[in-house]
Amino acid sequence: MGDILEVEGLSFKYSDAPRNAVSGFNLAIPEGEIVVLAGPSGCGKSTLLRTVNGLIPHMYGGEYSGDVRVGGSSVKGSNMRDLAQSVGFLFQNPENQIFMFTVERDVAFGLENLGVPRNEMRARVDEALGLLRIGDLAQRAPHELSDGQKQRVALAGVLAMRPKLVILDEPTSLLDPRTASELVALVVRLRKELGTTFVVVEHRLDLLMGVADRLVVMEGGKKVAEGTPKDVLFGEEVGTHGVAVPAVTRVQKMLAGEEGVGVERLLTPSELAAAVEGREI
Amino acid sequence: MIEFRDVTFVHQNGVKALDGVSLKVGTGEVVAVVGENGAGKTTLVKHVTGLLKPESGSVIVDGVDTRDASTAQLSRKVGVAFQNPDHQLFSETVEEEMSFALKNFGFSEDVVHNRVTWGLELFGLEEYRKSSPLVLSGGEKKRLTLACILAWDPQVVIFDEPTVGQDAIQKEKLAGTIQMLTSTGKTILVVSHDIEFLWPIQPRVVVMKGGRVVGDGPSTDIMQDRELLGSARVAQPQLVELYQEFRRRPRAPFIHPLDAKRWVEEGLRA
Amino acid sequence: MMWLSGGFIFRRGESFYHRLDPRTKLLNSLLMFVTSLLARSVFEMVLVIAFMVGLSAGATVLMRVARTMTFTALFSGFIFVVNIAFTRNLDTSLLYAIRFIAIVVSTSLFFITTSPDELEQVMRMFRLPRDVVFAFVTAVRFIPVMMLDTIQIMDAQKSRGLELEKGNLIRRARNMIPILIPLVVNSVVRSGELAEAMESRAYGAVPRPTTLMAYKARMTDIGVALAAVALFAVAAYSFYFVIPVRFP
Repeated sequence: MGDILEVEGLSFKYSDAPRNAVSGFNLAIPEGEIVVLAGPSGCGKSTLLRTVNGLIPHMYGGEYSGDVRVGGSSVKGSNMRDLAQSVGFLFQNPENQIFMFTVERDVAFGLENLGVPRNEMRARVDEALGLLRIGDLAQRAPHELSDGQKQRVALAGVLAMRPKLVILDEPTSLLDPRTASELVALVVRLRKELGTTFVVVEHRLDLLMGVADRLVVMEGGKKVAEGTPKDVLFGEEVGTHGVAVPAVTRVQKMLAGEEGVGVERLLTPSELAAAVEGREI
Repeated sequence: MIEFRDVTFVHQNGVKALDGVSLKVGTGEVVAVVGENGAGKTTLVKHVTGLLKPESGSVIVDGVDTRDASTAQLSRKVGVAFQNPDHQLFSETVEEEMSFALKNFGFSEDVVHNRVTWGLELFGLEEYRKSSPLVLSGGEKKRLTLACILAWDPQVVIFDEPTVGQDAIQKEKLAGTIQMLTSTGKTILVVSHDIEFLWPIQPRVVVMKGGRVVGDGPSTDIMQDRELLGSARVAQPQLVELYQEFRRRPRAPFIHPLDAKRWVEEGLRA
Repeated sequence: MMWLSGGFIFRRGESFYHRLDPRTKLLNSLLMFVTSLLARSVFEMVLVIAFMVGLSAGATVLMRVARTMTFTALFSGFIFVVNIAFTRNLDTSLLYAIRFIAIVVSTSLFFITTSPDELEQVMRMFRLPRDVVFAFVTAVRFIPVMMLDTIQIMDAQKSRGLELEKGNLIRRARNMIPILIPLVVNSVVRSGELAEAMESRAYGAVPRPTTLMAYKARMTDIGVALAAVALFAVAAYSFYFVIPVRFP
């Protein structure tokens, strides 16, 4: 499979900003991966994401150089109508992306905007509701939903457009840990069932490290590390880039000197305990 | 310092947010309140500041029944750092923002000036004294709201979901602030579902579920109680989980229970 | 204010009336409104009210409509007294008093049984510009959200020693500043985020968006519409052709 997302030498400066929000950025993401994008606040993550779904440069002006391609076609040269169908964007606050008064109308929002005929729309809305297992919420009003449910409704609205690439911008920041891990499990299932590529911005790495194929770390608008989660988190300098290394990984790193312990990938607590069973520490 | 005596509170929509809550927090204690969204954590906090009054039972803060005092009177003793700084910042300058509460509480001009300077220095915000609070970054806004509270020196400081939207560096600074406050003898309440953030602080942990207190004890005890945490839908800190995994296996390297803390601390520093 | 909000705010229902095509509900309420204006005898007014009370019962909102009618009756009592004082005509005064109740009930019946979603559909059917319709939708959609924001802001400021109820009128007005500014700032931030989310979901991609909702005229729609038209016809006929009997 080819690369669904290609970023080449991308630099962007907002028109009223003193310096580049993203500079000289390169990235290639193969189709079907779960990619985690991490880095401190203000490192340019949000800007980068907005160049992928076209809000930059189609909505925000500024100095743009380099190229971003989704599924082979340039974002700059596409219109928002096409981009909305190839890239889904789940924003941080689900409240501000639910527009209609019932869940099913909201899931249909994007399809209505595209002028999809009613019968096809009905089928795609039902499919999206089914994927997220929220069919029973179809007639609810937004203010009758919990935060976790709102998140799912917003994601259903995104998936109804059948995007190949879905961006999740800090999807768990408002959720409690259990609801957050349910969301992560959902992402894994959707990738398996639909083959969708996910780019996830997340501060809570402990949630995602077990399922991510790739971890990209940004700082000051630049990419400072990229690789498998294990390679990046075992790297010497990652802690200095404002990325919190999960506790288990820190212990795994401590024990990594022992031969055979966690040399290939990141381990969960029980895997790590099993790996050192019978050894001297 | 804070005492809940069999407090029950029902919201307008009929949801029983607090259901017979009894809780005593002593002066200088650090208490974390954990539980899933909707467990009643925020309602609990609002009872301490008198924003909500108990339907039955009573809440006593520093010897005063909250029903006999206004929120303004109680807030002199209790400072709350709410989740979203944008819900309170309104002044033209950072300096004025900080003076707001101090003036409400009737401090004199020079006390206000001194306290503002002290707060800005403590949180590294001096350079913004004359700028608008709205130009600050998310982390800086959070620190400013904390500075605003500490400026009037309340005896109790409450943090409502302090880590939401904060990155690793900001979280570390926050943990530092909480640790600093404990050393000044303040009573601290942290409402949070960020277990990884709470673990190194080692607070007393109160677990809430469906408006009830279902667990209460030191971090090391509560965080090892998988059954309790599971039923309240609270996650377990990774290090505790790891520690338990090691202890569960007969052939795993032997770890003395007393070593747990040291082991975990070393793990944290690595 | 309570009777006003109670009498005009939509609550979900499962009755035959709730399930009518929103256009039928609009037509019915409009016709009843006009019929009330045309009616020239107390008898016709009573017919109109009886019809609407019947529909309210069918729509399982009779209690709410009755409450609205009771509150409205206070005003109509006033209208009655003023009229009788000036015209000394019992019939006309009674007619005006009942007419006021009928007008309020006809509007109320529409709003308490028509969801915001259906209102949006009606606006679309009338070919209002998409942006106008969407502005309406967003305004209504975010009322509960803004109310929650306001509560949180008030809580935050009260916790910093702000006393809203203190002082004279000017002082009280000034006390609102710490509430209003964050509210405005939050709304601006929110509308920015909404705009991004709209763009990302192809808002404005085609000039005539489709809709998920399907409306077909059913027997109940036809029945209600016919009854309403009949009532209207009676009133219109007597308005134009029947000289009302006047009591000396």
